[in-house]
Amino acid sequence: MSKRVMVVDDSRLVRVQLEDVLKGTEYEVAAYCRSGEEAIEQYGVVKPDLVTMDIIMRGMDGLDAAEIILKNNPDARIVMISSLAYGDTFERAKAIGTKGFVEKPFHQEQLVRVFGQALL
Amino acid sequence: MNTAMTRERLEEILDQALQDVTERTAGVRLHQGDQPLGEDLCTVHITFDKGFSTSLTLCADTSLLARMAGNSFHEETVTPEDLEEFSKEYLNVLCGKVAGAMFQATQVSAHFGQPVFYHGRYEPEGQEAQFVLTYSDEHSKGAQLIHHVACSQGSGAAGREEIQ
Repeated sequence: MSKRVMVVDDSRLVRVQLEDVLKGTEYEVAAYCRSGEEAIEQYGVVKPDLVTMDIIMRGMDGLDAAEIILKNNPDARIVMISSLAYGDTFERAKAIGTKGFVEKPFHQEQLVRVFGQALL
Repeated sequence: MNTAMTRERLEEILDQALQDVTERTAGVRLHQGDQPLGEDLCTVHITFDKGFSTSLTLCADTSLLARMAGNSFHEETVTPEDLEEFSKEYLNVLCGKVAGAMFQATQVSAHFGQPVFYHGRYEPEGQEAQFVLTYSDEHSKGAQLIHHVACSQGSGAAGREEIQ
């Protein structure tokens, strides 16, 4: 059975890219949210196996959204997918309790590896 | 902490990031040259709001950005919304690459804001172009990546803030 992924990113391009690279893998995009606020609202409805979270978005940023989702759902598996994969951003993502960090632009092998580690 | 970066080093970082992100995101190879831009242009702009007080502007022939967007979305024709969405995400990823390389070089975490898209050419207020990298594709469509700094910074090191 496929693992269900909820994609949180304000760019539709990222959803298209994720659908592309996850083709033929054990993962499928089950839901797509364009903001942190929408992700917080949808998490309990979608109940995904994994969330991918962008950082820079309109309104609440992805780190704040991830922190709230994890506070409300401590078992949530969140992987950050962002172009800000360095320094204090990287450290804060780890401190919040996210399960991995993938730098944009991403490729299939890297994504599947990080997703697998996040679900252990 | 020494946060200085020479203009030459920054040009090199920007060039490597642009070539890499363009090929991986849109499947298009750009090469540096002096190709003049056409008249139908789009601009996308990002301001670095922490770490480095600079901004990056990409001004390109609309047809080049449309081809890149079409490749990325797997669509033969792209809507104006697709064009804007692609351009913003493309510069966002490019700036992430640049900021990551700058972090490696200086240990300063640079953050940047939301990209802004314009039809035509856009010049940010209160800033001047420190340097311009000019590119073209195999169809002679062009793009310019422009590094802007505050007007008083004009030349020298690459628009750094003093970090205590």
